[in-house]
Amino acid sequence: MRKVIICALVTLALTVGTAGAATLKIGSVSPLAGPYAADGTDIKQGVETAIAMWEAKGGIPGYDKIEYFPQDSGCDGKQAVSAANKLVNLGVIGVVGAYCSSATIPSSDVLMENKVVMLTPASTNETVTERGYKYMFRVCGRDDDQAKVVVKFLTEDLKKTKIAIIDDKTSYTAGLANNIIKFGEGKIDVVAHEHINQGDKDFSGVLTKIKALKPDVLYMSLYNPEGNLMAIQAKRLKIDAVLLSEDAVYHPNYIKIARDASEGTFFTFGQPADETIPEVAAFLKEYTAKYGEPGSYSAYAFDAANALLAAVAKVGASDPDKLADAIRATDAQGASKKLTFNEKGDSGSTYKVIVVKDGKFVPYWDPDTGMKY
Amino acid sequence: MDIFLQQLVNGLTLGAVYALIALGYTMVYGIIQLINFAHGEIFAAGGYIGVITLAYLNHIGVLEQYPMLGLVLAFAMAMVYCAFLAVAIERVAYRPLRGASRLALLLSALGMSIFVSNGMMLAQGVYDKAYPIYMFPQESIEVGGAIISHMQIYIFIVAILLMVGLNFFINHTRLGKAMRATAQDKTVSALLGINANRTITITFVVGAMLAAAAGVMVGMYYGSVRFDMGFVPGIKAFAAAVLGGIGNLYGAMIGGMIIGMVEVFAAGYLASEYKDVFAFVILIAVLYFRPTGIMGEQVDDTRV
Repeated sequence: MRKVIICALVTLALTVGTAGAATLKIGSVSPLAGPYAADGTDIKQGVETAIAMWEAKGGIPGYDKIEYFPQDSGCDGKQAVSAANKLVNLGVIGVVGAYCSSATIPSSDVLMENKVVMLTPASTNETVTERGYKYMFRVCGRDDDQAKVVVKFLTEDLKKTKIAIIDDKTSYTAGLANNIIKFGEGKIDVVAHEHINQGDKDFSGVLTKIKALKPDVLYMSLYNPEGNLMAIQAKRLKIDAVLLSEDAVYHPNYIKIARDASEGTFFTFGQPADETIPEVAAFLKEYTAKYGEPGSYSAYAFDAANALLAAVAKVGASDPDKLADAIRATDAQGASKKLTFNEKGDSGSTYKVIVVKDGKFVPYWDPDTGMKY
Repeated sequence: MDIFLQQLVNGLTLGAVYALIALGYTMVYGIIQLINFAHGEIFAAGGYIGVITLAYLNHIGVLEQYPMLGLVLAFAMAMVYCAFLAVAIERVAYRPLRGASRLALLLSALGMSIFVSNGMMLAQGVYDKAYPIYMFPQESIEVGGAIISHMQIYIFIVAILLMVGLNFFINHTRLGKAMRATAQDKTVSALLGINANRTITITFVVGAMLAAAAGVMVGMYYGSVRFDMGFVPGIKAFAAAVLGGIGNLYGAMIGGMIIGMVEVFAAGYLASEYKDVFAFVILIAVLYFRPTGIMGEQVDDTRV
C-alpha cells in the first residue's frame, strides 16, 4: 500500500513538474551528412547561435527553455519530407530550412498543411514563395533576381557574352541556369548548356567538350563540392574562360580547395553585411568563438531563427496565424541584411558581384549602380 | 582529333583509378565469394591518411624541401593504415560469419561500409579536406593538342606498376600460390597445409593497399578528399570488376579501363548527365552476352 502511495506521489510530482515548464520547440532541416553537410552544418550552427543569444538574454517570455531539433535532409526531397513529418510529430512551432530548393519545396508542403512556420535561409528557387503559402518565408534572395544580375554583369561590366553553362539538374541549379537563358535571350550567346550529376568528381569529359567551343565565360550553376573540383579541373585543362558562379559555390572552402584555380572567379552573392553594424558584430563574435569562421549561410540561418524567436516573444506560439503575421511584420537589422518580408514571404534580394582576389572574397561590382567597388 | 586525344587521356586516368579499386573487389570475391562493400570506404580512408600525412609534413616544413619524399611517405602511411583497417574489418565483420550464409556476409559488408563512412565523418568532419597539391609540380605537356598533366602521367605509371607488382605477387610467390590454391578449394588447400585464415587476411591486406594508393592518387588529382568519396567510385569499381569477370585480375583491370573510358567519352560526345547510365548500359550489354564477364571463362585457373 505504501508503495502505491509513493508511486502515485512521484507520478503526481512529475506531472506538476512538466505542467509548469513550458518548452518552446523549434526545428531545422538541412543536410547534416553527405556532400552538402558543410553548408547544412553552418545552418544548424547559425540557429544554435541565435538560441544561445536569446538564452543569454534570459530566454523567451512565457517559456522556460528552447528545445532545438536539427534534422538531416541531405539535399533530398524524400528525406526532407520525412524530416518535416518527424518535426511535426515532435510538435515544433517553426522550422528553419531547408538548404537545397529541391528539399525545401516538398518538405514545406508537409509543414504548411500542419500550419508550421518555415523560414528558409538558403533556398533561392522562385517556386518556394510563389505558391501562396502563408507560413513560408525566405531570408535569402531569389533566383530570378540573381539571374538578372548575372545577365546584367555579363553585358554591362564584363562585356563577354559567349557563355557555357553547367548545372546539376536540381531545382536550384537548373532553375537558375534556365532563368539566365530566359533573361539573357538576345543579349548573351549560350554556346553550351551541359549537366552533371550531384556527387560527380571527374568533369574532364564535359570540360574538354566545352573547351572546344571556346566560350568566354564558364558559368558553374552547381553546389560547393562540385564547384571546387570543377575550378581545379578547368584550370588544369587550360580553359581560359572567366569562371562565374553563384551563392551555392560561394564558400570559404572554394578558395581553400581550388587555391590558385579560384583566383579571379566571379560570384553573385547577397551583399556581405557591414561588420561595423553592432548586430552583425555581435553575431560574428558569438559564432566565431564557438564554431570558427561562419559559412555562407550561417548568418542567414541566424536571422531566420531570430525572426522566428522574436515573433514568438511578441505573440506567443499558440496561434500559427498570429505567429506568421508577426514574422511578416519583422523589421529588424539582422546579421545578413536588414530583414523585412513582403506579402509572399520574400525578404528581397541584395545580389552583388564578388571576386576572388589574392585568396579572398572581395566585393567587385554593384548591379544597382553599375559601379565597381 | 585533339579533343579525342584529350578525352582518351582523361579516360585512361579515370580508368586506372577504377581498375586499382576493382582489383580489391575481385580478389576478395575470388577467395571468399564476398562482395566487400566496405572496400570503397578503405579507398576513402587511404585518401584521408594521405592528406593527414602531407599536412603534417607541411606543418613541420619537410614537404617544401622534399616533396617527392613526402609523397612516398603519404603513400606508405596510407597503405599501412588501410592494411590494418582491412584486417580489423575482416576480423570483426567477416571472420565470425565464415560459415554463415552469403547473404549474412553481404549484409555485414554493407553495414561495415556505412559504419566506416560515418566514422570518418565523425572523426574528420563534414568539410572537404584540401590536399596540398600546390606543393607539387603542376606542369603539363602538350601532345597533339591534348594537355597531359604530370599528375595524370604519375597516376597512370603508379597504377601500372602496382598492377604489374600484384601480378608478380600472385603468380610468382609462395603467398600468391597459397592465395590461388585457397581460392580454388579451401578444404583441399587446408589439407595441404595452407592456413586459410591467414591467406584470406593477406588477400584483404593486398586489396586494401591498392585501394589506399588509389585514394592518395585521387586526392592528389582532384585536390580534395571527403568522407563519402568512396561510395560512388566503389560502386563503379564493383561494376568494373563484374564487367571484367569478377574473380579475375586481368578482368578487373580491363573492366576498370572500359568503365573509365565509357564515362569520359559519354560525357564528351553524348550527354554528360547520363555518363553513368552509359557505363552501366555497357555493363548490362556485356553481361547479357557473356554472363561471366569479359574474362570470365578463365575463372577456374587464374582467379585469385
